[in-house]
This record gives sequence, structure tokens and C-alpha cells, in this order.
Amino acid sequence: MNPLHEHRLALTRRHFFRQGGMGLGAAALGHLLGQDAMAAAPGMKAAAGLPHLPHFAPKAKRAIYLFMSGAPSQLDMFDYKPKMADLFDEDLPESIRQGQRLTTMTSKQKRFPVAPSMYAFEKVANNADGAWISELLPYTKKMAKDLCIIKSMHTEAINHDPAITYFCTGDQLPGKASLGAWLSYGLGSENENLPAFVVMNATWSAKRDAQAIYNRLWGSGFLPSKHQGVLLRSQGDPVLFLSNPEGVERNTRRRMLDALEKLNRKTLESFGDPETQARIAQYEMAFRMQASVPELTDLSQEPERTFEAYGPDSRKPGTFANCALMARRLAERGVRFTQIFHRGWDQHGNIAGDLPLQCRDVDQAAHALITDLRERGMLEDTLVVWGGEFGRTIYCQGKLTRENYGRDHHPRNFTIWMAGAGVKPGIVYGETDDFSYNVTENPVHIHSFNATLLHLLGINHRQFTFKHQGLDQRLTGVESAPVVKDILL
Amino acid sequence: MIRTTIIGLAGLLAAAVTAPAEGAGSAGEISFNRDIRPILSDKCFACHGPDEETREADLRLDTYEGATADLGGYFALDPHDPADSEILFRLETDDEDELMPPPETGKPLEPGEIALLKKWIAAGGAYDPHWSFKPVAKPELPPVSDPGWTRNGIDHFIRAGLDAAKLAPNAEAGRRALARRVTLDLTGLPPTVEEVREFVNDSRPDAYERLVDRLLASPRFGEHMARYWLDAVRYGDTHGLHLDNYREFYPYRDWIIEAFNENKPWDLFVTEQLAGDLLPEPTREQLVATGFNRAHVTTAEGGSIKEEVYVRNVKDRIDTFGTLFLGLTVTCAGCHNHKFDPVSQEDYYSMFAYFNSLDADPMDGNKKDHAPVVKLPNPDQEADLERLRAELAATEAAIREAVDGAEFREPDEPSPPRFADPEEVVWIDDALPDGARQTGPWNFEGDGAPVYSGQVAHRQSAEGVDQHFFDKAKPPLEIAADDVLFAYVWLDPDDPPKQIMMQWFTRTWDQRAYWGENNIDWGKDGSPSRRRIGDLPEAGQWTRLEVKASEVGLKPGAKVSGWAFTQFGGTVRWDKAGKVSPNDKVPLFDSIAGWIAHELQLEKPTAPAKVLEIIRKEPGKRTDGEERRLREHFIEHVFAGTRGQFRKLHEEKASLERQIAAIGKKLTTTLVWKERAEPKPAYILERGEYDHKGEEVSRSLPEFLPPLPAGAPNDRLGLAQWLLDPAHPLFARVTVNRFWQQVFGTGIVKTAEDFGLQGEQPSHPELLDWLAVRYRELGWDTKELMKLLVTSATYRQDATVTAEKLARDPGNRLVARGPRFRLDAETLRDQALSVSGLLVEKLGGPGVKPPQPDGLWKTVGYSGSNTVKFTADTGPEKVHRRSIYTFWKRTAPPPQMSIADAPPRESCVVRRERTNTPLQALMFMNDPQYFETARHLAERALGHGSGDARERLGFLFECAVARPPQADELAILHETYLDHAREFAADPERARKTVTVGEFPPPEDLDPAELATWTMLASLVMNLDEFLNK
Repeated sequence: MNPLHEHRLALTRRHFFRQGGMGLGAAALGHLLGQDAMAAAPGMKAAAGLPHLPHFAPKAKRAIYLFMSGAPSQLDMFDYKPKMADLFDEDLPESIRQGQRLTTMTSKQKRFPVAPSMYAFEKVANNADGAWISELLPYTKKMAKDLCIIKSMHTEAINHDPAITYFCTGDQLPGKASLGAWLSYGLGSENENLPAFVVMNATWSAKRDAQAIYNRLWGSGFLPSKHQGVLLRSQGDPVLFLSNPEGVERNTRRRMLDALEKLNRKTLESFGDPETQARIAQYEMAFRMQASVPELTDLSQEPERTFEAYGPDSRKPGTFANCALMARRLAERGVRFTQIFHRGWDQHGNIAGDLPLQCRDVDQAAHALITDLRERGMLEDTLVVWGGEFGRTIYCQGKLTRENYGRDHHPRNFTIWMAGAGVKPGIVYGETDDFSYNVTENPVHIHSFNATLLHLLGINHRQFTFKHQGLDQRLTGVESAPVVKDILL
Repeated sequence: MIRTTIIGLAGLLAAAVTAPAEGAGSAGEISFNRDIRPILSDKCFACHGPDEETREADLRLDTYEGATADLGGYFALDPHDPADSEILFRLETDDEDELMPPPETGKPLEPGEIALLKKWIAAGGAYDPHWSFKPVAKPELPPVSDPGWTRNGIDHFIRAGLDAAKLAPNAEAGRRALARRVTLDLTGLPPTVEEVREFVNDSRPDAYERLVDRLLASPRFGEHMARYWLDAVRYGDTHGLHLDNYREFYPYRDWIIEAFNENKPWDLFVTEQLAGDLLPEPTREQLVATGFNRAHVTTAEGGSIKEEVYVRNVKDRIDTFGTLFLGLTVTCAGCHNHKFDPVSQEDYYSMFAYFNSLDADPMDGNKKDHAPVVKLPNPDQEADLERLRAELAATEAAIREAVDGAEFREPDEPSPPRFADPEEVVWIDDALPDGARQTGPWNFEGDGAPVYSGQVAHRQSAEGVDQHFFDKAKPPLEIAADDVLFAYVWLDPDDPPKQIMMQWFTRTWDQRAYWGENNIDWGKDGSPSRRRIGDLPEAGQWTRLEVKASEVGLKPGAKVSGWAFTQFGGTVRWDKAGKVSPNDKVPLFDSIAGWIAHELQLEKPTAPAKVLEIIRKEPGKRTDGEERRLREHFIEHVFAGTRGQFRKLHEEKASLERQIAAIGKKLTTTLVWKERAEPKPAYILERGEYDHKGEEVSRSLPEFLPPLPAGAPNDRLGLAQWLLDPAHPLFARVTVNRFWQQVFGTGIVKTAEDFGLQGEQPSHPELLDWLAVRYRELGWDTKELMKLLVTSATYRQDATVTAEKLARDPGNRLVARGPRFRLDAETLRDQALSVSGLLVEKLGGPGVKPPQPDGLWKTVGYSGSNTVKFTADTGPEKVHRRSIYTFWKRTAPPPQMSIADAPPRESCVVRRERTNTPLQALMFMNDPQYFETARHLAERALGHGSGDARERLGFLFECAVARPPQADELAILHETYLDHAREFAADPERARKTVTVGEFPPPEDLDPAELATWTMLASLVMNLDEFLNK
């Protein structure tokens, strides 16, 4: 870091304590200003969360969520259904379907022919009875001992927009706070120079039109908007408006900020508005971010073996592999919650063409991330989640051949995995019927899943509320959403 | 945390405001509404409230009757012996099984709350209806310690509160501060330096009122007021879900702006939006207003179930209706009876029944004009349409006249038919065929530019290969044997192309014909996929190009759904295009009998159905009218003797019809409401699920609110009358509270969206009622109401806060000081544009796209969406408009707005957050648009005065914050000026880079180092806390 900058920071810090708000003591000031200002004040503890949180000692200090938007086909990746091989092109029995609703993309199909997976599965050793994983995921096989694979996830939504909104905000309709915003609100940040909640949107390889995602998926909803996810972008400034205008260098900015602080301090003296104090602090935070974010995104100090582990794509900004590497760097820097959205998983057709590409995007990088965290001793307090918003049908959408087929949306069961902090490694949880159509054992509703996630971060989801529209709003809704204790260490 | 704040405030206000205002004597007295119900509601009602489904122990505490019900020899609240009430025991017992609320709810009572409950029960445990459900009565103005301080009724209530809290109001703000504050509050823009000075120097006693009147009369007033409303109605320029395509809706936004500007009384404002379509003979504007109920997000996601989408859409309307007009969170009752407010699930679906009968497909089809819509010609289009329709009428009259005047006598001996040339099928002329999806620059130009047919021709200029085209036309152009495709072309003699090409789309684009050089290497040369027809036609004149369909591989039966106009270099104009079928020669006759005989032997007769019907009748059985009809048709369409005359008239008529259709396709549309002829039935939906229909319900309103006024229809129009009825306890209170919130930062009821039992108590209940009644008395005159607010002594106070006031009343709920808070996102950007002199003050029109960082849409958008790619507009008319006109993509709103707390407009929001974050600091300093405004402010400063740096610094500062700097401030500015000046002088190259941001290049006569220096100083003052706050 620039020595001059260090010196100035120190000056600013002293300045702050000396002048701290109209002669009030720092503690009293903190009380009056609320956490905003204290959090942003240099040298203070980073943005605090709620005073009574965490509710209990957390297993996870931070989480990384690899969101596979579009709904990956559990049938071709994790949910091995050998009996289907003999039922190729046979109709899905009504006893299985039980009149469940279908999307209108296939509800008018005359037939619902079974499409067995065309991919070879292998049972790999984990810490229990082993896990079946398909040939599309060679690297994932290698980490079966780290994963808790949940095959019995289910949701009510059958279309992408409501389903992904449901998963990320606890409600199918827009307007609610996202998971990351909740965590930022409840637990605050561990790093005063970076936001508590960072989002990355990765590029994808499937050729099909990719489903949209929405700012609301990392929005703050009814929570104060400072808790919304900050996009870490691969194009232009990594954080919006981070760079000074061309020609304005760091010392120019420092000079401007010094004058700004002096003038704002005069405003503070004449109006006495504590928000002015907070604003001074936030401008300093902005200045620090101008150094900390480029440091974060600068991969030049990463050794060659890092890129070998994450794969060749990891050098390419915006790829999933690159985002995964960035997620590790964010975790190292204490960012509470990192979410990567990887799109392109909506294989209504052409599984053979697109699914292998999608798997290739994430397989090696996810493995590298888990390994990397473990090697750094961070897997024990970092939770990693992989999964999409629902699953896909056993029956074929469109033309069925031995070589190719498509699958429609299937909310009744799908597969995700978790790894790291507090989660039993090397197990498979939940079971589905022979058609991967219904959960037969240990269902996990997405609300329960989110409750479990909060639990791992030290939060009792029932008591984690925010009053809005007269209600104690929760990420996990009003119905009971038990924590999945079976998968916890 | 939140709870303590509320209690703290309630305590403060109990001591300060409410008691004297209620005139109730000692500050220690318990008020059920203020002190007790909030506790019961928050801690008890979830299990002992209005919802029977979840009621425990058959006990309800939300009514006095419930609380005092005999529970078998004992009472939760003992009406005879309060001290024996079961509640008292349950509050403090050590037995965890008995303790209430149960510990597992995680909502223990605070000691202060227990004390309040005990005190209340000791005093008899009286209930009182929830304050906001009681009728509004106009309170007397309370006495105050210093009547001379008050300027209007507001001040009586505020001062009485301050008296009780033993606080004194601040002195009146200085004129400069006041001018800036009130200008920002009424127009969303800062005053100019001259305006401030004018006010400062205006010694007339009513100078301030004059200033306020001037601001209220400004068109900027409507733009400012409208944006609060747009948050509430969730206005956006896209559908908001899934594809999030463009939707055309801005006329509704402009209606809101205009309504505020013309000061449409609030009763009409609300009625026309809620039910404009139900008014007798609604005007076009009243229909535009009904967009209110269409503003919610919509979808057309593949696979969606219509019924589910329909239910969601209706729910969104009720939620908005409830939040905006009732201040009630009715949403909750969609799934179960409301836990706190007396709104049952049946009530909810009875309200649902008012909003469910939109005559439309619930799915938006990803179309911009999701029906029903109204079409809105602009004045030019209106004039054109009027003229064209007149011309069409004249042509039709001429046809009629020619028919009437034709000389025809049935010959004795009919001669055999003659065959006339086939008629053209015109597919493109002034407009594209139906369904066409256009790509590339379709520059339709008329007004003096060369045109062959109709009003306009389409031009393209290119360097190298370029094209414009469409596909997806429906119905497609069906090719018959020997068809010839044609188009008219005009090559620019000053800029001729090297090659021109047309392509036709069937399943591929591999049908190409070209003229001139062979530079475009698509397809295979010499084959139908690249067929040379001839040399380029002569430039500077219209030429008809013809291509035999077979030459480009189009077989009979082929369906052409796209047409591309391609060129290599140059400027080319294209006009009328289509096809001719040489085999469709038209037989002409000189005798009706001959014609009829011919028709009757055809396998597929050519006469229109109605004429055919007559033909098929036996000659003797035709009526006179039928005979006449037959004869007229014959003369107009079949008679050889007049064919030439009519053919010309028909061509004229067809051309006019095409022109009218072309304008029709270009007309602005906007979403409106159209009620179904028969209302759709409504059902209680169990757990709110669309496929769990319960009992059918009809339109009705919750019982705790007044009934529909006598004579009011039981529809949305009746709903509007119900809201506006003086007996309605919520509507007026909720409305004035939002205006108060807008000006003072926090509502009298802080939870502007919730006046129910879980909402916060009003800080000044009587003031709220007084304003509610006053507004009605003023005839719902919004400008007068705003004037009342901003001319009060309360508003005019200085904003300084002392440590004591900050400690006693951090949120300024007692208003012992003037309002001061960070400006909203739109105002911040508009202010920057305004002080820089860049702001383009133009009212209304389509959304504009000022620059934003690349990729924000693409990283989230559906690849097939028509808003997946953001292309910034150029030109000040677009990029320097007020923020209310910024294009609003709801799944990725403009970052300049969302970073500064604007909601995404996906759901109804009546209260914005105000945060203070480093991302905002980065934006104000670095966003190219903000930095651009700094440079232009710098240019203004450099053009000011004699060149003395201090004088310029003073001007710069005054532009930003409406006051000259004090000496010490000036010293800081000057020192910074010298530093920056040195820095940039030493590095002119860097200075040059600094000053090139934005729409305009820097003026050449300014030294880049000097301009860079002043740009940094302008950016400095535009980042001042004082600039960012009002």
C-alpha cells in the first residue's frame, strides 16, 4: 500500500477520535449515531450485525453459494435410476405422476415417455454407503467424501422466475429480502473494506437461451438497502463506479477527500447532524475500497498451481472458474456471503449437447474451491452450497432418442450438495422413487434448507425476523421449516 | 432493537405530545391505543387474535368481549375483579409451561411492557377501538405557549407537543436555506443563484408565499410529485418478470405528472385511476389513468399456468390498493385470516372480486402492448390520420359516384371475358406486415426525402455490408407458380452503393437476389442462394426491381415470413415491395349474365361471399336491393368498360388504407383497464393457492370499515366513492401522512404502509386528523395542502440540531427543528444536472437511457429478451433529462437510482429507505454522468466574473448550496484549488483526460489544466454533505 496513504489514514483515524462528534465520548457517539456511522468509521470494528446475533456459536463464519440457475438435471448427474434403462420410451405410470401439475410446456404432450439417463454412473466411496455420480462430473466424484448430497429437495414453484425468487428470498413474489441481505443485516461484515454480501454472475457454455436472473435475487427487499448484494463484475469496474475518472489519480482523490472532510466537518459543527459524521466515514470507506477491491481482484500473485487446480478458464474473467477462485479470495478476506449465479441449466432439449458443457463449466472449479478451502484450513468454517431452483422430469420433453432428449421442470424432487462447516461430509441424504419423481425419504423443503443454512451460521431462523408491514418477516416463511438436523455434525 | 426504539419513542411522546393534545391530564395515564394494544398485538394476537384457525385455548385478546369471556370460572381479563385477571399471573409466573408469551416464540415481554400491562389492568383494563379505525373528527386547535409563533393549524399541534416536552422550536431558517429547501421540496430541483438572490432581496411581507406559489405553478412540480406516486404504483418500462421485455406505459406516467401540474383534485385523481373506465363516457385520458391497475409485474414465462398468473396479478392489485389507500397489510389475509387486523380471508377474496374482472389474458405475451390498451396519436399523427381518413372518405365517395354514374346496359349478346393484368400484392409500404420483428435500422423517411409510394421510404447508409430486415411476419406471403417479387429502389447519386441485395426468409435466408458487384459472399454464387439479376439501376431515380420467385428457389407454396434489404456501401432508399402473380389475371365482362355464368362454373368462385349468395339465387327471386347490389359490384369490380377508371381508384384507396394502418402501428399505446361484460366469479383460495378454490364470494368490504355509501355501485367506482366518503377512517389519514412524510422525512405515522394494529402509533394523532379533514375541506386541493405544509412555522425552522434535541428526539418526530435529510436518488441526479446547466427541461415522452456501466442488463437478462442489451442514448435531449424519465427496467433498475435507495418498482412501496453507504460516495465522485455535470459546472464557474479564483470559488459554492462560502470554507477551497492547479499544470496530458467525460467535448478555448482543476473543485462541492442533503 502507498505509504503516504497509510500516513493519511492514521491521521484521519486520530482526527476522528479527537474530534469524534461534538465533544461527546466515542461510546456515546456510537450510541447516538447508530451502527451506520460506527461501522464505517475507520479503525472501528467492521459493520456489526444485530447485537443478539449470532444466537449460538456458529459452525460457519461465512458461506459460498454456487447457484445453478435454470435447474440442473438431477437425473443425469446425481440421482441414479438404473431401473429406468429398461423403460426407455415407456409411458410414465400414472401411479407415479399422480396427476401432479405440469408446466404448460409439456402438459399438452400426448405422451410422457421415460428418458433414462444416457450417462454412466459410478458409485464412489464417501463416508457412508457411497454416492452415485455420473460421468459428467469427474472432479465431483473425487470429492464425494467432502459432500453432503441431498437428493430430496422439493419446492412448490414450477417456473423459473417464481422458483428462483422463492429460493433466494423465501417468497415467490418480488419484494422480499434475499438470503445474503438477511445475513448482512443479521451478522454484519467481517471486513471493513469490503461488503458483507458479494454477488458474481458467471458466464456459461450451453447454447440455449439462458433464463434471466434478477437484481431482486440479491436485493434487500424490505431490509435497508445497504444490505443488498454488491455485484462484483468481470466487466468494467469490479464494483460500480469504483475507479476514479480517467486522469484523476489516487493522490488527486485524496486531496479532494481531505478538503471534503474539512468542509463536511464544518457542516457537522453547524448542523450537528450525526448523518454528516457517518457520511465522512463512508467517503473514507469508499477510498479504502478503491484500494482493497483491486487488490482482491488482482490474481497476479496467485501461483501457477492455483490456475491448474481451477482449470484453464480460471484466468478468464467472468467464467465460473474465475468466480470460484474469486470466491475463495473473498472468503479469505472475511466476506460473509458470496453467491455465484451460473446460468444455462434449462435443458428442455438437447441434454446431450448442453449438459456436458454446463457440467464442465463448474465441475473442476467447484472441486478446486473445496480443496483450496480445505488446504487453507477454511473449509471447517466456510459453508459451500451447490444447486439450482428445482429439478427436471424423468419423462422426455420433445423428441426422445437414445442419443438425446430433453427434460421439463420438476419441483417435486431435486438434488443439491453442501460441504464444509458443520455439515456431515461424505453422506447422501434423502431418497426418491425409481423415477426420481417423488421423494420417498427425508424430504427437505427449500424453507427447511434455508433454515439449516441459517442454523449453520449461528442463527435461529424462527427468531431472525424483521418487522415489515406489521409482520415479523422471516426468510423461511410462516409455516414450520425444521432445521435438517440429520445432516449436521 | 426496533421494539425498544418504538417504546422509547412512545414513552417520549407520551410525555411530550399525546397527553396534552388529547387533553387528558397527567402524562402517566395509560392509553389503550398508544400503550397497550401494540404490546398485545405484537406479543399475543398471533395466537389470541382475530384468526380463528390459529387461535389457542379458544381465547382472543383483540376484543374486550374475548378477553373478558368466562374461561370456566376464571377470566383472562376479569371484568369484575381486575386484580384477579389470569393475564397478570401468566405474565410473570416461573412455570415455563404457563408463562405467556411462551418462551419458544422468542418474544418475551420487556419489563417495561409488563409494568404497562399491570398498570392498565389495575385501572380496569378498558379497551378502545384501534385509533385509525375510528372516524376522523376535526380537532380543536390546542392552545400553545407562544401563539405568535404559529402560522397555521399545523403549528398549533406541533408547538403543543413541544411545550409538553419542554422543548423550544428552532428559529426560522435563513432565507437562503429556506429557498433551497422549499425549491427542492416542491420541484425536486435546486434554486438558481439568481432565484435565491431574488428571494433574499424581496422585502415584501409575503415574499415567501410568492416563492411558494411560483414553485407550485412550475411544471417541475408535477414531475417531482409524480415520482413518489410511481414508487407506490410500481411503475416500470418493462414487464418485470422473466423476459422482462419492454412495455409501453409511459403515457400513464405522463398522466400522473400532468395531473399534479393541473392540480387535479385528489378525489378525481384517485377515482380516475381506480375506475376511470367505469365513468360515464370516459375520455381517453381517463382511460389512460386506469393503467393504475395494470402497473403490476406480469409474465409470459413458458410453461406458466394461466390461472396461477391470473391470481397473482389480482393479488398484486389488492395489495397495492390496501397499502396505498387503506394503509393496511391486507396481503396477509390472502392465505389466512389476518393475525392482527380484523381482515378475514373471506374479506380478502371479497375485495379480490373487485379487481379480478380484467378483460384480458393474464399472460403478457412479452408484448409491449399487452391488451387492453388505448392508442394515443401524437398531434402530428392525429393530423395525418385526420387527413388520410378524409382522403379515404373522398376516394370512397368517388368510387360510389363513379358506380352511380357508370353507363352500363346489359347487352343482349354477352361477349366472352377479357383478361386484365393481375394486381400487385403489396407487402411492405410505409409499414411492415403484421407480426414482423424488425432488425437493423429501419429509417422510414418522408418530409421531402425521395418517396415512391405513400408517405415514407426506408433508407440505409452503410460502409461495407449492412442490412435491415424483418422476420416472423404473420400471415406469411405465400408464393404461387410464376410469381414475381418486386420492390422499388432509389440509389443516392452522391453516395451510390456497390451492390444491393434482397433476401427472403422461409426456413432459412438462402434466397438471395443481387444487383451490381459481387461483394457480399453469402450463399453460393450463381445459385438461388446468391443470384445475380443485373447491374445496379441508375442512381437518383426510382426503379422497380423484379425477381422471379423461382430464380431464387422459392417454389409454389413457399411461405415467405421475412425480407431483408442488404447493400454494400452507399445510401439506398427502398419503397413499396411485394409480389405479382401473373396467373391471377382478372377476367372482365361486358355483361352481368356472362359474369354470373362464369362465376357459377368456377370451382372456387372469386366474388365475395355476400355477392355470391345473390348470384346463386335464381334471377327472378332476387330483391330489388339485391339486384342493385349485384349491379354495383359488377360495375366496380368486373365490368370491362370501367375497369381502368376503378383500378386507379382502388389503388388509391389501398394506398390510403396502408398509410392509415402504418400510422396505426406506430401509435403509442398504454395499458388500461377494461372490465369484462360478466364479472369473473371469485373464490376463497385456501392457503392462497390458486388451485385450492373454496367457497365462492361476492364483492364486499371488511365489516370494521364503513359500508359502501348509499347509492354507490358495487364495483371499482363504488370503491372509489367509498374511500372518499367522509365516514372512511383510513383513506384521508393515510394520504396526508404520505405528503407529510415527503416533506418532513418521516410520517406522522412512521409506518406509512401500515395503519393497522402492528403499525406504529401516530406521533401527533390530532394533527393527522386535522390535516385529513383540512384536505377534504380544501376540495382535495393538493397544491393548497402542500402550501399548508411548507408555509408552516414548523417547516420553516432552521435545521440545526443541538446535542440535547438529538438526545431527546433523534428522529425529529417532535419537529423541534427543520427537516434535513439526504435527497432521494432522482433529486440528487437532477440537482447535479441542474447546477451544471445541462438539464433539459422537457415534459413527458418515452423513457430515456442515459449512460450506465456496461453489462448490467446482459449479466442478468434472458438472452431472448428485447431489453437484454443496454444501449445508452446519445444527445442531451435524451441523456440530460430528469430522472423520472429514465427507462426503468425492473429486473435491473438504473444503478444511479438503486444505489441511492430507489426501490426496484416490482411491488408497492410507499416509504423509501435512506441509507448512507460507500457505494453512494463512489457514485457521486466517479459516475461519468456525475463527473460530467461537475465539468460543466466548472465551465460555468470559469465563465463567471473577472477571473479571480476566490470569486469563482464563491460562485461555484453558491451554485451548489445556495449560499456563498464562509471565510474558512473559502480558505479550504482555495488551498485545494492551488493544490489541484499545481498538479494538473504539471501533467497537462492527464488534465486533458480528466475533462473529456460526457456528451460534449470540452470547449477548445479552455486550458485543460485549468478546466481539470475546476472540475475537481466542482466535484468537491457536489459531494458536500450540504449538497446531498436538503
